[in-house]
Amino acid sequence: MRTLGIGWLMVVVGFLYLPISVMMLMSFNASPFYTLPIEWTGHWFAQLAQNERLLDAGRNSLLVATVTAVIATICGTTAALVLGRGTFRGKRLFQILLLPPMAIPWLIIGTAMLVFFHWSGIGRGLHAMILGHVALSLPYVVLVVGTGIQTLKPELEEAAMSLGSTPAHAFFAVTLPGLMQSIIAAGLFAFAVSLDQFVVSYFLAKPGVTTLPVEIYSSIRKGFTPEINAISTLLLGVSMVLVLAFAWLSNLGSAAHERR
Amino acid sequence: MLLPTYGILAISVFLPLAVMAFFSILKRSPFDPGPLTFTIDNYLVFARRPYLIDVAWTSIQLGLWTTGACVAIGLPAALALAKATRGQSQKILFFLIILPFWSNGLVRIFSWTMVLRDGGVLDYAYHQLFPSAAPLGLLYSFPAIVIGLVHAYLPYMILTCYLSVSAIDDQFLEAARSLGARWPTLFLKIILPLAMPGIVAGSVLIFVPVIGSFMEPRILGGKTGVTMGTVIEDQFTQAFNWPLGSAMSFVMLGFILVLFGTFAGALKTRPVAAA
Amino acid sequence: MSAVDIAGVAKTYGPVAVLDHVSIDFEAGRFTSLLGPSGSGKTTLLRIVAGFVIPDLGTVRIRGEDVTAMPVWKRDIGIVFQSYALFPHMSVMGNVVFGLNRRGIRGAEARRRAAEALETVRLTGFDDRRPKQLSGGQQQRVALARAIVTRPKVLLLDEPLSALDRRLRQEMQVELLRIQRESGLTTIFVTHDQEEALTLSDRIAILDKGRIIQQGEPSAIYERPRTRFAASFLGDANFLSGTVVRGAVRVGNVTVRCDGALPADGTTVTLAVRPERMAMVALGDGHGDGGNAVMGVVHTVTYAGAVTTYRLDGPGGLALRVFVQNRDGTRFAPGSEVRLQWSPADTVCLED
Repeated sequence: MRTLGIGWLMVVVGFLYLPISVMMLMSFNASPFYTLPIEWTGHWFAQLAQNERLLDAGRNSLLVATVTAVIATICGTTAALVLGRGTFRGKRLFQILLLPPMAIPWLIIGTAMLVFFHWSGIGRGLHAMILGHVALSLPYVVLVVGTGIQTLKPELEEAAMSLGSTPAHAFFAVTLPGLMQSIIAAGLFAFAVSLDQFVVSYFLAKPGVTTLPVEIYSSIRKGFTPEINAISTLLLGVSMVLVLAFAWLSNLGSAAHERR
Repeated sequence: MLLPTYGILAISVFLPLAVMAFFSILKRSPFDPGPLTFTIDNYLVFARRPYLIDVAWTSIQLGLWTTGACVAIGLPAALALAKATRGQSQKILFFLIILPFWSNGLVRIFSWTMVLRDGGVLDYAYHQLFPSAAPLGLLYSFPAIVIGLVHAYLPYMILTCYLSVSAIDDQFLEAARSLGARWPTLFLKIILPLAMPGIVAGSVLIFVPVIGSFMEPRILGGKTGVTMGTVIEDQFTQAFNWPLGSAMSFVMLGFILVLFGTFAGALKTRPVAAA
Repeated sequence: MSAVDIAGVAKTYGPVAVLDHVSIDFEAGRFTSLLGPSGSGKTTLLRIVAGFVIPDLGTVRIRGEDVTAMPVWKRDIGIVFQSYALFPHMSVMGNVVFGLNRRGIRGAEARRRAAEALETVRLTGFDDRRPKQLSGGQQQRVALARAIVTRPKVLLLDEPLSALDRRLRQEMQVELLRIQRESGLTTIFVTHDQEEALTLSDRIAILDKGRIIQQGEPSAIYERPRTRFAASFLGDANFLSGTVVRGAVRVGNVTVRCDGALPADGTTVTLAVRPERMAMVALGDGHGDGGNAVMGVVHTVTYAGAVTTYRLDGPGGLALRVFVQNRDGTRFAPGSEVRLQWSPADTVCLED
């Protein structure tokens, strides 16, 4: 039974990585029509360096992702602190309000944003995308930092106060350093969510102002060029590195608490 | 203190949804000249244009097939992960399964075109074996969309099932075995019921986004890839009939809320450990 | 001179009165325990002295100064939590100098004093370690060093030993006592373990349901408990109920005498006798010494090495317990009829 199980797991892992590996391999294939067998070349990556559209879109993606990460982390952390430490009426309500962005399909959220932003004059473009991405990342940031807060005992701040710290000092000297890992992890999370976001970006993009996934989509719809493979491979690589960083950070955190 | 966060959410999510609701009852887009007229015609569109019912049914089928496949593939995988592996290798396998999940969804779907298209990997391999056969024609079909979606959402199911299954105490199984039960019974009577919360949670997490998908059907389905998602998207980007698109979105949203309502109970009790 | 003065303190959370008009003085330089079951309010009282909780009524004075509404960080206190609450991102040295830094003592001087404190708790050489690298006992010592290094006006300990295993606990009890004597700090110690309270304290205050039931020196409370609760929380006791008749107490058809004043004739009272103060004598072995005596039948015998515990059925179905030191190996078997004898001096008339 056990070997059957492990065998199946291998099949599943193989299934998960098959298309990705193929695509990565193909980005080194000289043939512009993806004909097999593969002729190895780095040509497409070089080509990529000159594709202004894709490069522009890439830069936009990075910009949006960075700004999103910063804003979402700051807002989300303060929200997590208030929700985690405070007790007040309506707290439950605020916690529930964090669910819709996670539960509603991006199609609906994206179109709603498009409608509202257009109608209210906010318009489309990078600023709209940042707004949208932040909204989507916020619940996750609150979740990650919130979990970090729960593992922090309130006695730490009490101990600091008993030694003479004002509440403000206790927060900066004791609580914040303890949360730093969760905050950074949440930031990385938000960055990754934004970088990979397609649907909402799609609706909020303007001609000439797009992010990488949206650009890749248009290129796919128009016809394949191997440069798409190249940029996709790169994008995939970056996402995976981010996740590895996130996992490594989380592991550090949980290992530290494990010793007790 | 909470203001920035909820302010952003208000502007980006709650107000937009409210405004979209408003739009859905308009006859014409408010950006067109002329007075605003209200109507519920947009909501009756399913009655007016029967082909939309087919489209909706396609979306639902997509959801059912994808979810079903994910359960069939994911539950055994989760079981194996929880019970057949241990320690370091378990962590590594777990990580390997979750990793693609966090990579770009669009890119993953795109990568399937490499595999499924004529001249792509599968077709190529097939023709190495049967040189004179006709092209497989795997891409641009309903099954292709399902494959892509399953690939995209499988980790969800494995994750939720894993959480449920890992809470099943080995001693349950051993006790049942000692009473004479063999694998089919073990599975049906013990594992399945205890894993149910995970299965339900995973199913809802998969079904909901799938019925709203438009990117995957378009890329992998080509002309046959017409779903509620693509139709709604069309209203906003091609037909510019925003009121109609809004109404359709809300119909879908309503459907989803009903789903959540029905399965909310199961979702809440999800991570409770057995015994 | 009292270092900490609590007067009429009350605290209510919703419908629950956690503390109900509590008044107590803590003498300077002494080790006082707040002893009670969970929910008795002892931790709340400690936290009121610390400043984490503001009482609804009453005042708190530290060295004469009214601090009832003063915030925690202005009071000059040291506190050790049950979970130690060491700052995980700082080293041992970092933790210990924290309080000194807050008081403006920094650099070499701070480190010197911290090293002194660490030496007092016998933890020299651990300066650069992180809390997660230390064992439970070591973390506790660091927490203690951190609390005493600033020479606070009062040292507060909130069940600091409950997380330790038995052996370590006993060791730390000895250490704690030594450190307190050496530093001379006024110490308030919260615990639910009566043995611990007896071992460590100069004074004990027993709390139950938000009230101080009895306070005083350990031996005083033990010898002369005032209520049923005090008698059974601190040690074990046999309870005999009866009516006052002509200066003695009639329990069933036995007359029991006790050494203190008794209420008026006709009042129902409860008497308490410590199990180790009763002697067991076989029937027919002489007839008593003029003290109190009842007949009983041995029900269960529990041998525990140094002491054997006998559970007996007394007159009228009364359940009695006797501790006998195993000096000469004589033992009574279950079912034996025996006579229990004890002195009126060991009979306490309870107030409730």
